[in-house]
Amino acid sequence: MNTHNGWLWLLPVAALTTPAYATTYLTVEQAQQLMFPGQTLTSAPIKLDEAQRLTVERASGLAVPHTDFAVWRASSGGYFFLDAVIGKHELITYALGVNPDGTIKDVEILDYRESYGGEIRNAGWRTQFVQKSAADPLKLDQDIRNISGATLSSRHVTDGVRRLMAIHALLPR
Amino acid sequence: MLRTRLLFSRSLLIGISLLFLPFVAEALTLEELAQRLDVLEAENAVLRQKVARLESQPNAAPTAAANAGLPVPTSPAATVAGGGESSTYLSSYGEIGYTRPSKQPSSSNVDVQRAVVGVTHRFDESTKMVGEWEWEHAVTSSTDTGESEVEQLYVEHTFPGGWTADAGLYLMPAGLLNQHHEPTAYYGVYRPDVDTKIIPSTWREVGLGVSRTTASGLTFEGGVTTAPNLSKWDPTSDEGRVRGPLAAIHGEGQFAASHDLAGHLSVNWRVPGALVGASVFASKVGQDQAGFLGNDSRLLLWELHGRYQPGRWDLAGEYVRGTLSHTEALNEFYLHGTTPNPTLVPALFYGGYGQAAYRAWSNDYFKIMAFARYEILNTAADYGSLVGAPATPRDERIWTLGTSLYVGDGVVLKADYRRYRNDRYPSPVPPGYTKGDSLNFGVGYSF
Repeated sequence: MNTHNGWLWLLPVAALTTPAYATTYLTVEQAQQLMFPGQTLTSAPIKLDEAQRLTVERASGLAVPHTDFAVWRASSGGYFFLDAVIGKHELITYALGVNPDGTIKDVEILDYRESYGGEIRNAGWRTQFVQKSAADPLKLDQDIRNISGATLSSRHVTDGVRRLMAIHALLPR
Repeated sequence: MLRTRLLFSRSLLIGISLLFLPFVAEALTLEELAQRLDVLEAENAVLRQKVARLESQPNAAPTAAANAGLPVPTSPAATVAGGGESSTYLSSYGEIGYTRPSKQPSSSNVDVQRAVVGVTHRFDESTKMVGEWEWEHAVTSSTDTGESEVEQLYVEHTFPGGWTADAGLYLMPAGLLNQHHEPTAYYGVYRPDVDTKIIPSTWREVGLGVSRTTASGLTFEGGVTTAPNLSKWDPTSDEGRVRGPLAAIHGEGQFAASHDLAGHLSVNWRVPGALVGASVFASKVGQDQAGFLGNDSRLLLWELHGRYQPGRWDLAGEYVRGTLSHTEALNEFYLHGTTPNPTLVPALFYGGYGQAAYRAWSNDYFKIMAFARYEILNTAADYGSLVGAPATPRDERIWTLGTSLYVGDGVVLKADYRRYRNDRYPSPVPPGYTKGDSLNFGVGYSF
């Protein structure tokens, strides 16, 4: 028997499962493996108390309208954050990886749903964050340049990263 | 009910996973399986939190976020209504301008140039509709000059692999402005003349389009749409020369003649702080009208554009060139008809501009941009091989100098002065005149 034929049963399964999240470019697991290959990630969700919420607001200069954040701790000591912001009208799901030394390891766009502006998935835009820390401005038009035609998406993901980095500052190293 | 649905989905997923576990188990080590279980358990914990939160705030967020196990998203602008798996977003933009013609201040006027309301309804993760309805010049009635129109109305479906298909009335991917035409997206109280007279922003056609954005920042858009209708050309009106040839003959989805269809193709490459792009639109435009002398006419419109934003600077340029072929017989008919000095169909029209803006001051909430723009355009640069054709007008040249004060994400206050080479002292200046040398102030918003 041709060994390749052994995988043919996967085709109808793939056909049944792929349309469900057509705007998903990366799953959570794929983003985790991309950022922390081979490492174990342990879920460590955060619930900010009121004092912490105010601390994050002061540090980031942004509103923190909710207090629950999806966070994983990597076996190396790094952190993986999963978050969503609204671009212009629709949700952008993104992930932030932070190195053990507190610098940004990576930003990945998992879902993008707007009709325009999907270019923020561009590695050239995302790598602007790499090696920056909470001590950097992390602001559009300052240390992060925008994508023409996707200004709001660029700004809101940048703001989201700044907010997550302010939350990261509260976590144990 | 939401909890039941989510738990059912989760159980189904786990059940399916277990069914196929024997097939994949041999490819995975026990350690890898343990890691994956950890991830699943962690996601499940987040999901449980999410369900609890959603039950206490039933309309707090679209289910898309819940599916990813996410916290409630931050919402700087959009309104989210409804629950379940669909969601509806309201959007709007508008602008009001004050114009003071330099040589005839008595014609100064204020106009609500446009008020636009948009609705986006997402049926599910893959399919949505987008609609925008516009009122121009405040009042629309049989005795007023306002217009009421559908600016966009299309459905969009995203396929695996990032391909997106649109069907309906959608904006042509032409130039820097046509798809991003909100007042916060351009400098000046009024859109550049090149982007209104050569590219008739907001230019839309009815058709089928596909697009794809690659991870490297390249966006391709192409489609088949309705085409302009040259038989609408009115030689007794100066509309084709003053508002531009395409503005005079495009269909806008109103019983748009559709014997001849058009094709469009565009490519844009966006990297941080820079954009370069090009597009082409081609079609026959005669629409096979009985006895019409322009049935063989073809339109070809192409353009190049770029934007570069180093530091505080925002530099942009655009060049557009359009040709209409086989117009000689039609123009000859107009020339020898009963209309004195008819407006002829141009064989060539073009325009371009360079623009430099500088961020003079900003803080976290306000930003002041100063800008200068120089445009060259001609709505009737050539009449082809027409015998006895009148002289073509010389190129219009326009300087616009001004400032924009941005307030937060969505509000802008503008002031500028425009100086025209040809259209400097229109006489008499009609009421509501907004062209010619003028001092202008405006306010606009977009969300």
